[in-house]
Amino acid sequence: MKNKKSVGQIIADWSMVILLLVLVVFFSVMSPAFLTPLNITNILVQNVHVAVCSTAVFIIMVSGGCDLSIGYQMSVAAVLCTKLLAEGTVSVPVAVILAIIVCSVLGSFNGIMTLVLKSNAMIVTLGTMAIFQGISYLISGSKTFHNLPREFMFIGQGKIGPVPLNIIIMIVLVAIAIFVLTKTSIGRDVYAAGDNPEAARLAGLNVAKIKVLAFTVAGILVGVSAVLLASRSGSADSSTGVGIEFTGITACVLSGVALKGGEGTLWKAIVAVYVLGVLANGMQLINLGTYPQYIAKGLIMLFSLYLSNREQKA
Amino acid sequence: MGGFFTEILALKNITKDYPGVKALDNVSISFEKGEVHALVGENGAGKSTFIKTISGAIKPTSGTVVMEGKEYSHLEPSQAIDLGIAVVYQEMIQLEARTVADNIFAGARDGLIVDDKTRYNKTKELLAKFNSNIDPNTLIRDLSMANRQIVELAKAIAKNAKLIIMDEPTASITVAEQQNLYKLVKQLKNDGVTIIYISHRLEELFEICDRVSVLRDGQYVTTVNIDETSKDDLIKHMVGRELSETYPQKKPATDEVILEVEHLTGNGVEDISFNLHRGEILGFAGLVGAGRTEIMQMIYGAVPKTSGTIKKYGVEIDPHSPKEAMHEGIGLIPEDRKYQGCFLDKSIIWNISISNLKTLSRKYVMNNSKEVEVAESYKEKMRIKAPNLRQKVGGLSGGNQQKVVIAKVLAANPDILIFDEPTRGIDVGARHEIYTLMNELTEIGKSIIMVSSDMEELLGMSERIIVIHEGKVAGEISKSEFDQETILKKASGL
Repeated sequence: MKNKKSVGQIIADWSMVILLLVLVVFFSVMSPAFLTPLNITNILVQNVHVAVCSTAVFIIMVSGGCDLSIGYQMSVAAVLCTKLLAEGTVSVPVAVILAIIVCSVLGSFNGIMTLVLKSNAMIVTLGTMAIFQGISYLISGSKTFHNLPREFMFIGQGKIGPVPLNIIIMIVLVAIAIFVLTKTSIGRDVYAAGDNPEAARLAGLNVAKIKVLAFTVAGILVGVSAVLLASRSGSADSSTGVGIEFTGITACVLSGVALKGGEGTLWKAIVAVYVLGVLANGMQLINLGTYPQYIAKGLIMLFSLYLSNREQKA
Repeated sequence: MGGFFTEILALKNITKDYPGVKALDNVSISFEKGEVHALVGENGAGKSTFIKTISGAIKPTSGTVVMEGKEYSHLEPSQAIDLGIAVVYQEMIQLEARTVADNIFAGARDGLIVDDKTRYNKTKELLAKFNSNIDPNTLIRDLSMANRQIVELAKAIAKNAKLIIMDEPTASITVAEQQNLYKLVKQLKNDGVTIIYISHRLEELFEICDRVSVLRDGQYVTTVNIDETSKDDLIKHMVGRELSETYPQKKPATDEVILEVEHLTGNGVEDISFNLHRGEILGFAGLVGAGRTEIMQMIYGAVPKTSGTIKKYGVEIDPHSPKEAMHEGIGLIPEDRKYQGCFLDKSIIWNISISNLKTLSRKYVMNNSKEVEVAESYKEKMRIKAPNLRQKVGGLSGGNQQKVVIAKVLAANPDILIFDEPTRGIDVGARHEIYTLMNELTEIGKSIIMVSSDMEELLGMSERIIVIHEGKVAGEISKSEFDQETILKKASGL
């Protein structure tokens, strides 16, 4: 059963990890402030919501879909949750659960619309993105909500022993997702539906259900991600989370998720999230601001495409 | 060049090495001007590599290509086109959403501003040569496969092709269209165009070809004049051994009726009624587009029926999805292996398991050892040739891919199996294995419906044949009355 892998294959398999190590070494040399416990913890904590969101993006992409509305789903959940908490109308658990439920409903809506309209998910979610944006601003009235209860802030800022709570939440969620995707029949269903929907249907799979389910589960993760972000920053407004889908898609594609669906490895996508995180943090430390960061992000993306292309040809 | 010089193209001592495989091993073949030269061989014999060497898609490891007396170490794709070489692939790569005229003149350097009217007229003229009245403004995606082929040929002629390679041109067109294609091939030949014709259907070679070259395992076997050979001889050359009988004998079916289809209507077919006996192989004949696949789609629940009943052992079943049909014990080996049958980017084991996840898991968690056990047993039973179960299905030969698809369907343990074009594009050796397997399945009590466009296969394998013509049953023929002509007549509505 053992397959001997070529060196090129091994490099491709570990390319995200190698890239991460290269960046860590590079920034450690360039800036003494980089490789400090404080900074490393910062990088980890600051990207927790991105990692959870990228898991959502990953699930949708593997099922053969695409969701551009994730940022505004997050925005809706964040303003709804923080508004209720700031006004003191509901307790923390209720607000959190409500945020998650609302996002799962928005996710299902995307899935069902894609199905009903028999249209490309990217176009459908481009439409629903605008709807969610409107909903978010209607809820927030363009206001920012602070003064959130301490229990809520604990989710994003608290620690269990020495470990930040939000990191634990992320690890648990990602671990569950990896388990479901790789070790269960549900995971097989998702990959099959994305890889070849017609063959999957003829093989007796309920492809429509699987695809909607992927959007729903992703919605739940986006809801959690909204709570993680809002509780860490201690406030939220309608711009909270906006644009995060692009970071998620970038991380997924960087890690080798196929745009057509059915292919990808979640842990690699999470490592890719931290590649982007380290890149942003490190460049900041060596005084290269936001704009050079965009350029670096783009270059890394193109380089990874080059690598994967070369691997396919070999 | 003397008057006797008729060679247009020669490949000399071509070798192509891939890691671990010699796709071509010192192959030399010469082609004469204006001949129809067939190239045959089992899958993996090296035909594709051979074509790609001519079209410039690959560089051979060693050897030379001689085109019209000039020697090249290899050809670049653009160079091949300039030299007048054109390839009509089985899966034609065309601009789906563009018109016929745009396709024919795609890449033409006829000025910066596109003159649609001139293109239209030129296209019309070209198509007229092929006795075709396709409107040059039709979109490619609205054309039948046969008409798309004509467009490809016209395109080759528009580029002044002197040598046209046709890869399995009759694999996806109807019998009537095949006759037309043969006519076109003869016409091109009369105009002095050389045709390299690749086909799995040996019988058609005798209709249109002048010479046949045989490849086996990357090596050149022989070149023969078509009137000095026979089908049996060619098969012998291709497989390197004699097949005792092309169609294995099977035990007759029982009298017990397992499936009754009554007045089935919908999906473009009307009032279809037939019975399937336990242990039987029931053939479905008809022209492409007659509605055979459409009938099967309804029985399999893939497309809803509008009326009619389906009974299994006298009890009505009404599957609304493939999932429900599988639950009723019906399995489908679909027509289009690559797009409906298997997951090319996934491993053999993954493919075999996908229809059977429920029994291979407990509370959704996959039982890996059981999965390996099941897949391993099918790999052995079906004689799937692959180094291991983790091999991607896309890297297997057509025959082995089909075996994986059959294994996938069998793993769900159906008792009625629908084979839609079971051996399309599969080489002779693997075909025989699939036939044997089908017989073995009937011997353990499974019942088979076989839709096929391969007349010999239908006659050789079936115990009864139902002929479909334009969405209706045109006749039922029992084994004693089997006759190619009768079936063809019924299928053509005569």
